[in-house]
Amino acid sequence: MAAPARPLSSQFRLLDLRPSQAKPVLVPPLQPVERGQREALRNLRASLDPAIARHLTSATELIRALDKTRREDFLPTTVDAIDTLLGGGLRRGKVVELVARRATGRFSIVLSALAAATSIGEAAALIDVSDHFDPQIAEEAGVDLRRLLWVRPKTMKDAVLAAELITATGFQLVVIDAGLHPVRGRRVPDATWVRLARAAESHGAAMLISAPYPFTGTASEALIRGERTRVQWLGSGKSPRLLGAITTDFRLEKHRHRKPGAPATCDLRPVTP
Amino acid sequence: MTRIACFYVPMFPLAARLRSEPELLEEALAIVEGNGNNAHVVAATRRARTKGIRPGHSLAQARSILPKLIARGRDAACEHTAQEALLEVAETFSPRIEDAGDGVVYLDVTGMERHYQASGLGPQASVEIRAGETEARGPRPEASPELLLGREAIRRCDAIGLPARAGIAASKLAARVAAELPKSPRVVEPGQEAEFLAPLPLTRLAPEVNAAMTLDRWGITSIGDLARLPESEIASRLGECGRDLHSAARGIDPTPLIPRPLPPEFREGLDLEWPLVALEPFLFIASAALDRLTKRMEVQGFACTRLELTMQLEPDGFHSRAIELPAPTRDVKTMLTLLRLDLEKTPPGAPVTGFVIVAHPDRPRRAQLSLFGPAALSPEKLATTIARLVSLLGDGRIGMATTVDGHLPERYSIADYAPPAPPDARKKPPRSRGLLAVRVFRPPIPVEVITRVVGGEMQIERIEGDGDVSGPVRISSGPWRIEDGWWKDAPAAREYWDVEVGASVYRVFQTSEGWRVDARYD
Repeated sequence: MAAPARPLSSQFRLLDLRPSQAKPVLVPPLQPVERGQREALRNLRASLDPAIARHLTSATELIRALDKTRREDFLPTTVDAIDTLLGGGLRRGKVVELVARRATGRFSIVLSALAAATSIGEAAALIDVSDHFDPQIAEEAGVDLRRLLWVRPKTMKDAVLAAELITATGFQLVVIDAGLHPVRGRRVPDATWVRLARAAESHGAAMLISAPYPFTGTASEALIRGERTRVQWLGSGKSPRLLGAITTDFRLEKHRHRKPGAPATCDLRPVTP
Repeated sequence: MTRIACFYVPMFPLAARLRSEPELLEEALAIVEGNGNNAHVVAATRRARTKGIRPGHSLAQARSILPKLIARGRDAACEHTAQEALLEVAETFSPRIEDAGDGVVYLDVTGMERHYQASGLGPQASVEIRAGETEARGPRPEASPELLLGREAIRRCDAIGLPARAGIAASKLAARVAAELPKSPRVVEPGQEAEFLAPLPLTRLAPEVNAAMTLDRWGITSIGDLARLPESEIASRLGECGRDLHSAARGIDPTPLIPRPLPPEFREGLDLEWPLVALEPFLFIASAALDRLTKRMEVQGFACTRLELTMQLEPDGFHSRAIELPAPTRDVKTMLTLLRLDLEKTPPGAPVTGFVIVAHPDRPRRAQLSLFGPAALSPEKLATTIARLVSLLGDGRIGMATTVDGHLPERYSIADYAPPAPPDARKKPPRSRGLLAVRVFRPPIPVEVITRVVGGEMQIERIEGDGDVSGPVRISSGPWRIEDGWWKDAPAAREYWDVEVGASVYRVFQTSEGWRVDARYD
């Protein structure tokens, strides 16, 4: 025999207190830890000349401001086209994906980002799946090799595991370069990228994924695709030819906070000895 | 001001023997040194001493006094173990300890009085004062923190079976003399060394025999008597040893505390009840041993830099291996992973009946973090990460890329990653030069190249290779000649070309062995 259900009205009546009655509170509200200090600082500021009070800061406020600044900070790639598309560069704590099948200067942009990060003293890591990194060229591009951790995994699975470990260590820029098509050990579960994005967010690390085709799905904040490439040669007719530049059109395919579809053009010139 | 404590075990050979054989404590026991007619007593138990046996008696003399005397020779292993135990007790108080041998240990206790406050008797002190005892004897005078430290030291030494005494002073000499006195612990207040030593007999300074005889002839019996004599007169009559003795009598001891070096190794092992064949059960037991090792190292502030594993095999034989860690670490998971990989690579080849793991210690890396500059990496965290990456990817696949002098484009080397400290302040990165980089192909891809001569110059017409590196060449540029290692048996002589194939530019070169693609501009 089924038991009759208790009417909902009687259940809710238990909480229906009269307005005059104080609502029961199981645990009294916690007092902010630094309430006293904050009030003391406010009083001190009020008692001082505004010009002087403006410069008065508590250590807690300073640390919070620094942390906030650091989190909202961009790590520029110093390639104008890419920084324009991303609104300033690689945002700390976010994943940005750079995708191009052809030779569009993708690796050059990776080196530029590494050069920018290491030149200001940040620790950076390059996870080089296809072992394409050349220290001579990187040094020429401005990478401080002493601050760059070069990791050479054999598969994408190892690369992602390494990236997770490195991010948790505190590296501020982590770059995974998947190499050229076909990528070795391509199949990495989508959940792995989400986990990686969370690791980047929790440690405030900027993460750049450079790949021939999109990997990260919804985990990345932005996706830039390299589209058309033009190779410029110097010299014509019977004179000897010299590689002048590679010009690539990039397009912002996805961004969480910006309108997608914006184009940008990037010129890259070879290293001249 | 430096404060030095001395832990002293009187009659150390006897104490060490009684620690190993505590049932002899109530017996008439004498510790004997030497053999045959040369055997003489170096220490004896209280029962033997009450019968008249003294250190220096020959064994025959001692037996003539007490025929039932039990004689034991000095045991070096036993004394070594007792000394190690004493050092371990000292290490629970301070990391800076000096092993003076024969039951004497000096330790630097500067600043430790905060841990032994008389009023609080906090958890660090753990000095027990029984309430009943206090009530029976009336209110106990408040002890100084150093006195409490001394009492705690004596208690801990008693707990390991060594009846130690403790003395605390500003110099090793005063601390040693204070520790040798019967009423222990003794604390000599700073600057009071000379006053403390003055009433004591001169023998406490252990003067040389000749000097002691001379001083005895002069009627000098106490340390204070000697200290009152003019130093130059003593030095002119007794020489250098007289000068040193006079300085010691005035409480001056310039000898610094020499902390003992890092312990060479930590070891943990186990004899298994039955032989193990599979890897997993062995790693389960090894994990516990590694856990114990890391805890021991952590107590002393060390991390492991090298692991040595020795396995005892059935029916007999040993199998040893050593694992170098990329950086000092205390991460058990990392060490276990490295151990697993090594064992999987080269199994011992027989059932394992026991093992010993030896960890070589080193100081973990430390760094000062910056508030305004870029975030610095925690050295210990970095070391652990690198060790785990090495265990994941293998040797030579992680590190710091370094440039190499030469002309061949594929040259590179990889070194240990040790980043310098970040700058103190943030700055803006310099503007990019917009350089076009190359992706290097390791090893270079062999291709077939079709060439033609146009106007007396060679042009590359087509490339046939794997995947994208194949197709008609739109424009080729070159050659650039490179020669490297002309002094070698096989010098490298190459001709490089840049070729555009299908909207990609590749770098190809020709050698005597054929054509290769070694990079793509990207």
